[in-house]
Amino acid sequence: MEINALQAALLGLFACLSSMPGLGGTTFGNYTLGRPLVAGLVVGLILGDVQSGIIIGAAIQVIYIALVTPGGTVSADVRAVSYIGIPLAICAVKGIGLDPATTQAQAMAAALGAAVGTLGTVLFYGTATMNLVWQHIGWKAVEKGDFGKLYLVDMGLPWISHILFSFLPTFIITMSGAGMVDVMKAYLPMDGITMKTLFTVGSLLPAVGVAILLKQVAKKAVDFITFLFGFTLAACLGLNLIASAIIGSFFAVINYKVIMAQNKRVVAGANAGDDEEDI
Amino acid sequence: MKKLSEKTLNKSFLSWFYGNLTCFSQEHMQTFGYLCAMLPIVEELYETKEQKKEAMQTYTAFFNTEPQIGALVVGMTAGLEEAKANGQPIDGEAINGIRAGLMGPLAGIGDSMIVGTLIPILLGIGLGLSGGGSPLGAIFYIIVWNLLMWFGMRFVYFKGYDLGGKAVEVLVGEQAQAIRDSIIMIGTIVIGAVAASWININTSLVLPGGAELQKTLNGIYPKMLSALTVMFCWWLMTKKNISPTMVMLLLVVIAFVGVLIGFFNPGLTY
Repeated sequence: MEINALQAALLGLFACLSSMPGLGGTTFGNYTLGRPLVAGLVVGLILGDVQSGIIIGAAIQVIYIALVTPGGTVSADVRAVSYIGIPLAICAVKGIGLDPATTQAQAMAAALGAAVGTLGTVLFYGTATMNLVWQHIGWKAVEKGDFGKLYLVDMGLPWISHILFSFLPTFIITMSGAGMVDVMKAYLPMDGITMKTLFTVGSLLPAVGVAILLKQVAKKAVDFITFLFGFTLAACLGLNLIASAIIGSFFAVINYKVIMAQNKRVVAGANAGDDEEDI
Repeated sequence: MKKLSEKTLNKSFLSWFYGNLTCFSQEHMQTFGYLCAMLPIVEELYETKEQKKEAMQTYTAFFNTEPQIGALVVGMTAGLEEAKANGQPIDGEAINGIRAGLMGPLAGIGDSMIVGTLIPILLGIGLGLSGGGSPLGAIFYIIVWNLLMWFGMRFVYFKGYDLGGKAVEVLVGEQAQAIRDSIIMIGTIVIGAVAASWININTSLVLPGGAELQKTLNGIYPKMLSALTVMFCWWLMTKKNISPTMVMLLLVVIAFVGVLIGFFNPGLTY
């Protein structure tokens, strides 16, 4: 599968829009276009194969389902995951001749996406560092009272950072990526240790994504009961995600009522205590 | 008595909605987004260049929080700046004190509720709708997420403007705490279902005597290896303080060893 210059340029443009300090803005850029599920649709449209795009994007999405960037520390770069990783994974899966819908193809996509995402943090730090130059121009403008320039500094000049650190890397890597598959096929046999490890890693990686998310909500082992409840709904009862969300909402409503009832009792108890002291 | 016009507030909100992180650097994360959002407010409230310069100076201080819920702070400062321009006893220092005090707590709430719970729930449902490569899931996520954030951010911005300092109560009160707790519960259950639907860890090991280990495990608890791997990763990150990247590298080692001893085998050929 080939990626032509126009397709690579479009991928580059979406990389500019979707990264963490991206030019699509936080809500529509980073948290919409940057999510691998959405990127799967976008990349699929660009490459002319929406079905493969979505399947691969969804497989990679599981790893990055809770990509929190507290205080600007980034462990994976979404522009790299979504607009370099997904196109490369589509090329690799098709080049090898796998059906995208198989768990093997999804494992391969996960492994590739995670590798590209981790290496891609370089792009994040590059963009953020270059933005220092524009901010310097901004401080001068504020000093002089030339406030109109602020918009240029905040929303215009960062395009230069992104052409260098989002557009060009995406353009170059995706253009040359298709050839990579032939090299892989020539030197890495599927029944060799390397490829077996790659596919196994891909099947293990989504567990990290889920664990990152759990880290925020589960502090003690007992908090896992809630997680395992959801897990059991899908694994043993075979419920889909929407059904699980509805059952989850039902228990959440009960939980809310219990907490509010407790709060009332505490208030009532506190008042009773005050009365006794008065006597 | 100066009163900010609806048009100016809208302009300020739009600047924040789009530009909160566009000029991010490690040194001044959301500071320039904040300056752009306050500019229309300052332009309307003050006459002379000197007054404007003095007012803008307040917002040159470092700012960083979860930007979506952070719209509340921008709205609050718009209200406080208006009060200041009307001669009420508030100065730039007081405004900055409130800003700095809210950054941390709001980042905590926003990261856990929006990025850590709302997004995974929406993505989880989106994944459920993507079966067989259907674009429905992605479209669902694009529409629902953007509508929620557009109206949600507008709501907290204008709530912040109306209530000023009292707006904090909306987010940290007892009832808000109970709602947060319950929403996190939905999130945890959904993520459990996501894990069961999307993680497929199987062993190819055959036990002495010819029984397949995978079948034995399925008999005990379906997808047991997937659940155990998640818990193992959680334990490494939470109890051993190992970074996600290091955990991923460790999994590469485990996969390699597992393949060598025949525990894992994807069983593929070209």
